[in-house]
Amino acid sequence: MIRFILADLNRFKAGAFAVVILIALSVALSVTVTLQERAVRLGSARAAEKFDLLVGAAGSETQLALSAEFLQPSPLPLMSGRVLAKLSVDPRVDFAAPVGFGDYADGHPVVGTTSKLIAALSPALAQGAAFASLGDAVIGADVPKRIGAEIKPMHGGAEEGGHTHTEIVYTVTGRMAPTGTAWDRAILVPIRAVWQLHGMSSYDAHDHGDETHGSVEPEGHEHKAHVSVDAAIDEHFDVETPGIPAVLVKPKTIADAYRLRQEYRGEATLAVFPAEVLTRLYATLGDARGLLLAIAIGTQIIVIAAVLLVTIMHVSARQRQIGALRAFGAPRRAVVAIVWGELFLLFLAGFAAGLVIGYGTAHLISATLTATIAIRMPVEFAREDLSLAFWFVGLAVLVSILPALSTLRLSPARALRS
Amino acid sequence: MLALDISGLEMRFPGLDTPVLSLPRLHLPAGRQLAVTGASGSGKSTLVNAITGLETATSGSVSWGETNISALPTGRRDAFRATHIGLVMQDFHLFSGLSAFENVMLPARLSRRLTPAARERALHLLETTGIARPHQNIETLSRGEMQRVAVARALLSKPGVIVADEPTASLDRRTGEDVSELIVRLARQEGATLVVVTHDLALMERLDRRIALDGGRIVEDSAEVRAA
Repeated sequence: MIRFILADLNRFKAGAFAVVILIALSVALSVTVTLQERAVRLGSARAAEKFDLLVGAAGSETQLALSAEFLQPSPLPLMSGRVLAKLSVDPRVDFAAPVGFGDYADGHPVVGTTSKLIAALSPALAQGAAFASLGDAVIGADVPKRIGAEIKPMHGGAEEGGHTHTEIVYTVTGRMAPTGTAWDRAILVPIRAVWQLHGMSSYDAHDHGDETHGSVEPEGHEHKAHVSVDAAIDEHFDVETPGIPAVLVKPKTIADAYRLRQEYRGEATLAVFPAEVLTRLYATLGDARGLLLAIAIGTQIIVIAAVLLVTIMHVSARQRQIGALRAFGAPRRAVVAIVWGELFLLFLAGFAAGLVIGYGTAHLISATLTATIAIRMPVEFAREDLSLAFWFVGLAVLVSILPALSTLRLSPARALRS
Repeated sequence: MLALDISGLEMRFPGLDTPVLSLPRLHLPAGRQLAVTGASGSGKSTLVNAITGLETATSGSVSWGETNISALPTGRRDAFRATHIGLVMQDFHLFSGLSAFENVMLPARLSRRLTPAARERALHLLETTGIARPHQNIETLSRGEMQRVAVARALLSKPGVIVADEPTASLDRRTGEDVSELIVRLARQEGATLVVVTHDLALMERLDRRIALDGGRIVEDSAEVRAA
């Protein structure tokens, strides 16, 4: 039986190949949509799980989460340094780390922070040591620099017409282990160096209250700063602390997390669980996935209709062969099984090829995304995919049985005459 | 070895007033050999379809031995044909992509009657019919060889009847004669009743009895001529 089916398919090689490709491409479309959506979701969730709570100046929650978690360049309003000072001594807080963005070096974001954040991201450094003085820098796993290399930060990305800070040259002292997050592409420097570089020795609400600290700098702002690269870092923050765009907070307990979020949701500050913001984004993403999947399933229906048409034509074209099989003693069930088996085999081959193509495409997209935003997007199949697969196989069985059953009505004598 | 008994057989096609075939009575004793001739449209093919059960009789009965095949449901009739009637057709109807041996085995394989004895018999039949390389792909054979493979296939299930429909019509004279000789010899050896539809005079002469059809009726029967 199988031998006959294979010999028969071999005779219609080109047609069989075209049908397989048609099915494979439509399956690949659904597979890619499903896998990619999951990859983005898992990848960003893993990136977000390092921190529980984000505190920033009042503004957009989504922007705060995206900037602090994924280090996307976007102007964030500054909030008073007093917030950081308060959080640093709060007994409910495990650690609170400031993050200051805005500078870049060779396309990598330079983020001002404290050694506590480095310890949280990479409990053991892959190489070297954390920063000890203001001119030191610790790089993420994906930053192509060596220990001892010099980093000249630029204000704003080069493509945005930023200027190079001539006041400071950081020296790489350590490299973090890979985290699978956007921090792998970041260069971490002491927050005080960033403040000094931007002439912010202390926060003054009246002068800086409306200033955005990000890639956008108000015109006429001059850096008159002087940074002493050898000065030891000081990670004690008091009320004199300059303004910062965000603080990453690790609360001690879940209850503390909720209390803190409640407390820092006010007129001047905003507290968000990044996971919560992501969940909201996923809801949007989920809608998009639903739409894409609907389109993918739509194409599949068209493809199945096309395949059905091809096979019905194919069955009528091979009436003689079917008639001969019957005449020479093949029982009807054998003929049905042959026609059905051939079609089902094509469906399965198309399905398998579609899985491979879809999986490959999702990997390719993930790799491209990872290269640009450094968040690892795991492409993986999940249990719920099984039901999709069962649906497809079930549908394939049904669709392929139709032309097979049509052979039952065929009179062998008439088929042989045709 | 099965005897053929036809009584009151009528085959009608929808839209046609007169029956395509009308045989009040035809008896062929077991093991005998019958040639059927007639112009095209005389009802020869319909007769082949009726006696092989490929088409159902409009009325009347067709019996092989004790079995009235016109009364059998499709599935049983197919099964009867598979076990008792060996078919040889003008166009061979061999399946490309398979070897000569696989073609002989195909009907048995598809109806799950495959036994080691059947394999032995298939190889033996291919040898008898003069196919030197049974595992050669069927497309590479000559037309004469193809028809001989078809004859081997018809004989695999040790049928009591062999029905051949214009077995030599698509072959040249020499090859046709070889195939005629083969069919008649093997039918005799295997003890099968033989019905051959043919225009081939040389083939007709090898057979005991000849009937001629015209307009779906028997217009000439060598047995009656002799009896008369």
